[in-house]
Amino acid sequence: MSWRADALAVWAVVVRNALMASRNVFFFFELLFWPIVGVLSIGLMTRFLGLTPAQTSFVLIGTIALSVVNVCQLEVAYAVLMDVWAKSIKHQFLAPIGIRHLTIGSWLVGMVRGVALFTLLAVLAWWAFGFRVFAAGGGPVAVFLIGCFLNAWIVGVFVCALITLFGNRAEAFAWASVNLVLVLAGIYYPVSVLPPPAAAIARAIPLTYFLDAYRAHFGFTSEFAAPIATGLGLSVVYAALAHLAFYSCVQRARRTGLLLKMSE
Amino acid sequence: MSSPAASLAIDAREVAKTFRSGWFRPRTTEALRGVTLEVPRGAIVGLLGPNGAGKTTFLSILATLLIPDRGSARVLGLDVVRDSLALRRRLNMASGRPSFLWSLRVAEIVAFYGRLYGLSGSVLRARVDRLIEEYELTPYRRVPYSELSTGLKQRVALAKSLVNDPELLFLDEPTLGLDPDVSVRVRAHIAALRRERGMTIVLTTHYMREAEELCDDVAFIKAGRILDAGTPDELKRRIGLGDVIALRLEPTAPAWLATAAGVLRCTTNDGWTECTVDEAEKRLPDLLGRLQAEGVTVRNVRVREPELEEVFVELAR
Repeated sequence: MSWRADALAVWAVVVRNALMASRNVFFFFELLFWPIVGVLSIGLMTRFLGLTPAQTSFVLIGTIALSVVNVCQLEVAYAVLMDVWAKSIKHQFLAPIGIRHLTIGSWLVGMVRGVALFTLLAVLAWWAFGFRVFAAGGGPVAVFLIGCFLNAWIVGVFVCALITLFGNRAEAFAWASVNLVLVLAGIYYPVSVLPPPAAAIARAIPLTYFLDAYRAHFGFTSEFAAPIATGLGLSVVYAALAHLAFYSCVQRARRTGLLLKMSE
Repeated sequence: MSSPAASLAIDAREVAKTFRSGWFRPRTTEALRGVTLEVPRGAIVGLLGPNGAGKTTFLSILATLLIPDRGSARVLGLDVVRDSLALRRRLNMASGRPSFLWSLRVAEIVAFYGRLYGLSGSVLRARVDRLIEEYELTPYRRVPYSELSTGLKQRVALAKSLVNDPELLFLDEPTLGLDPDVSVRVRAHIAALRRERGMTIVLTTHYMREAEELCDDVAFIKAGRILDAGTPDELKRRIGLGDVIALRLEPTAPAWLATAAGVLRCTTNDGWTECTVDEAEKRLPDLLGRLQAEGVTVRNVRVREPELEEVFVELAR
């Protein structure tokens, strides 16, 4: 496939997802309602508990990360989920494109939504609770967002794989999976407070390292030696595994006939 | 349906497919049990058969949506498993129960798939406009898919299936659930695709009239096997259904009529005596001459060939 055909296929998915996102009330709730409710409720809880500004920033970073990863990951899952809902999935697998076009196109839209959401929540957190996400500078914010988006891509592609493996029954993973990842990655607490087995799992999650690296700019001692490099390294490994899993599941769906069943 | 390999659009040999379902109590369904079919380039071929016969499964294998368990299938000279990506550029498919993303508008749906097939800019716009015009969708180009009627959805599916100007088009029950007038127009479009673009078309249908009107060849599938294949006329002859000579006689039909030379069976219904004969052209003069000689008045005569539907009933039995 030429780079032009690659770019066009990715662009087709970008346009499709963007159009769908702009016309559904559900997407509005995903992008605005739940994230705003999340930051406000968690922020107010920190006030009630009398946390220090540093502790508040620690918790709010986790809340913002949860929203950004969630929105971007859902968009990646929409690469197949929307077509499963519409029973039109066979048409996109009949076209001469690869799964990379579907996931990258959806991921690009997810990143745009993620940046928009991050900006909105940053303003809200500053206005309501005096937490300045850019206090650490643009570089750390960019690395943090890259980490969030890489993790969103990995979780989203695994969700796509599960949907093409189990069909509609796996839909719940789209909403549940990211929460499980974030609980283990230390969303509101350092991973050192986790029980040893859970802490071991946390060390295998890339987002753990990106959260750690970003929080280090707010006065918290880093728990890892080279968190960004480790996070990036793990992300590359998981991204490759997720892609392979999705590809294998699509091939399996072509063998079992699930691809057709999901289109009937 | 036997042609040199180079001129074949489809060359399927002993294609078999079994579906397995259930994790704890696995069940198996043999959908195809060794289907062999050749389709020449530029032909319209119909796959006929009762529900669950394996028509859609076979079509899906040829369209690379399913991987066969056994056998081989070459489509446009390419292997459906090994060369699936290259093959997908050159074929397309529309089904009788079309579904697309509910919020996308008609023009956006066609454009989305156009981009997936590598079209862009003015070429894409021109292709979308042409297809929308051809399928009389211009008034609906900005209407969301969820608000379209069944007939309009069907036309969107057909427009989408032509967006890459395919060499081979699969149509899975293309007129299912359509009003008769819309069905007539869809059939006219299908015939025009072959006539004007030389496209090879393979369609599944339950409507015998559709198959008889459109198809050069038909193949009957039942329980995952092709029972017979050929032109509609060949099949009628091969099944031995014969021609029907319907006579209105006075005073009554003589008893010898049922056992006359070439008569396969004779029935009387509503004043008409229907004699199924091996060849009407050969038997009619003899029958009329003998009736006249015996003083039987022939008030009316009609001759008709058996319909494909009768072949279907015979084979599906």
